[in-house]
Amino acid sequence: MTIREQPRPVLKRRTSRRSDWKVALVFLLPLFVMYGIYYLYSIGFLASTSTTKVSVTFFNSIDVGWRNYVQLLTDPVFIRSMVNNVLFACISIVAALTVAFFIATALATGVRAKRLFYLIFLLPALMPLSLVATIFGSMLTERTGVLNETLRAIGLGALAQPWLTQPGLAFAVVAVIFCYLIGLPIMYYTADLSALPTESLEAALLDGAGTFRIMRSIIYPMMRGTHITIVLSLLLGSFRSLEVVLFSTRGGPGQSTEIVGTYIYGFATSGGPTIGFVSAVSIIVLVIALVLSIAQMVITRPRKDMR
Amino acid sequence: MSDTLPTVVGLELEREFAERPNDDKPRQSRNDGPPRRPKRRRRRSRADNPMRGIVTGKADRFTIYALLILMAVLFAFPLYSAIVKSLEVNGIQNYVSLFTDPVGDVPIWQTYLNSLAVGAVHAAIVVTVSVTAGYAFSKLQFRGRELSFSAVLLFLAVPGIAILVPVYRITQELGLFNTYLGVGMPEAAITIPFGVLLMRNYGRNIGDSLIEAANLDGAGHFRIFWNIFVPLSRPAIINLMVLCFIWSLQDFLWPSFLFTDPSLTTAAQAVSTFSSALGRGAGDLARFNASLVVLAVPAVLFVVFGLRFIVNGLTTGSTKD
Repeated sequence: MTIREQPRPVLKRRTSRRSDWKVALVFLLPLFVMYGIYYLYSIGFLASTSTTKVSVTFFNSIDVGWRNYVQLLTDPVFIRSMVNNVLFACISIVAALTVAFFIATALATGVRAKRLFYLIFLLPALMPLSLVATIFGSMLTERTGVLNETLRAIGLGALAQPWLTQPGLAFAVVAVIFCYLIGLPIMYYTADLSALPTESLEAALLDGAGTFRIMRSIIYPMMRGTHITIVLSLLLGSFRSLEVVLFSTRGGPGQSTEIVGTYIYGFATSGGPTIGFVSAVSIIVLVIALVLSIAQMVITRPRKDMR
Repeated sequence: MSDTLPTVVGLELEREFAERPNDDKPRQSRNDGPPRRPKRRRRRSRADNPMRGIVTGKADRFTIYALLILMAVLFAFPLYSAIVKSLEVNGIQNYVSLFTDPVGDVPIWQTYLNSLAVGAVHAAIVVTVSVTAGYAFSKLQFRGRELSFSAVLLFLAVPGIAILVPVYRITQELGLFNTYLGVGMPEAAITIPFGVLLMRNYGRNIGDSLIEAANLDGAGHFRIFWNIFVPLSRPAIINLMVLCFIWSLQDFLWPSFLFTDPSLTTAAQAVSTFSSALGRGAGDLARFNASLVVLAVPAVLFVVFGLRFIVNGLTTGSTKD
């Protein structure tokens, strides 16, 4: 995309230096090795394993054709975990586009103790997810959890709930943990805010617009590119959030909070001849990830050219 | 205080920020006339940070503080609850006993060292691969460069869990179970697409003039790479390394499948180890929460001392996760 846009002299130099590809091959060799092993080989291996019934020892594999895929796509738990995955992602996207945007903007207006605020808001996203989810799980335990204890202590004992064992509440809890991890969107917004053109802000100020009006009607629309980046990165991130569910509700109660990550994890750790099935799920997840990557490239490309 | 934003935000952004033409009024008026002190100060901070100007009224400022503090309290509550719980029954003794009488089969400080060792392998591989590839994609001319770069970025979003089965197989074949390399490599594989994106974006902003001059002097690509490209990309390399360490610290998936030796338990993994090693009694629960607080310490240190590198790295790479 860039070569075509480069001015003439550069184009000329390019033709005179065409022999670079040999050097490039050397410089790209480490990349080829890693990609070869962990992506190309992996995908081939997954594709061939996904049509078999085999345990983790990889001995005595039985060819079952497309049966794994059929079983997978008709499994209500898989459909459920897919839907949950997207739902949790959407909830965190809503939180990011509102709360994270507000936090980033508010902190950019020069409040006091800014570093402390950044620490509080960004820390959750930089701690091990397993730790964050476990802390939530421990905090929300029905009998000994600090939340219920606090509610009882301030006379709101009636509000104490079995947070993790009632399906609706457990779902809400996982959604809250997803929203708790909006540090990354805050960072993206902060970075974009610092490059904000000042003219329109001043014009709005001259017009007498209030703080929140400026945030909503001037700054918010100007961050369109960042919004898109955030939406896509959270959507993709939700497939990486195994620990969020695993360490808080373990997918339960029933299988009401299962996401794709815990679905795979459950089968992978079951010890039975489930590896072929797990491979089939992995292939589906890979296809989704690649499609979203392509979408991301296509959508964000024009913006990069403009900058 | 007013310089916090540029410190937090990326190097390039900082540059962009400084290079913006001086057309905003406060900045220019700073130079004319002998301004009275308080006035000057206010103007100056406005110029440094145009966002500062948007809070016009006292009421608005109050609302902003109120909302921020409310959210900060909500965000801090889980950690606060862990600390409260950790001091129950035996008070500070819960913490002391974690170090004198280790839970499970691994001393808690050992889990830090394990995460650190994995992080070092992870960072070494990612930096080697990303810097060389970043040079190729930003400074070398060859056919299909943009196409192959796009192909590399395709894998930016691959979740680790999707390549769990083949990675398990690869580790088996290479005999890398229970080695730092065995966990560091798949972590690196997941990070490399991001690393290449970061180094290539950074490399594109390095001017060609120095490289051309070196080229005229007869320096080959390898010398240019080593003596010019690598030193100039040092800030980006540092950001990338810090990110690798923090992602190793966060990673639960690979250690949990590829480390079976309890003495190799990493910090993220220790959460589940401790949870199964401790009972459900009040005393054990308190100790468990103390261990959670202790396990959070490295992340806190990272954020306190490395936030700049983390934010710079993540925003230069523009997309991850």
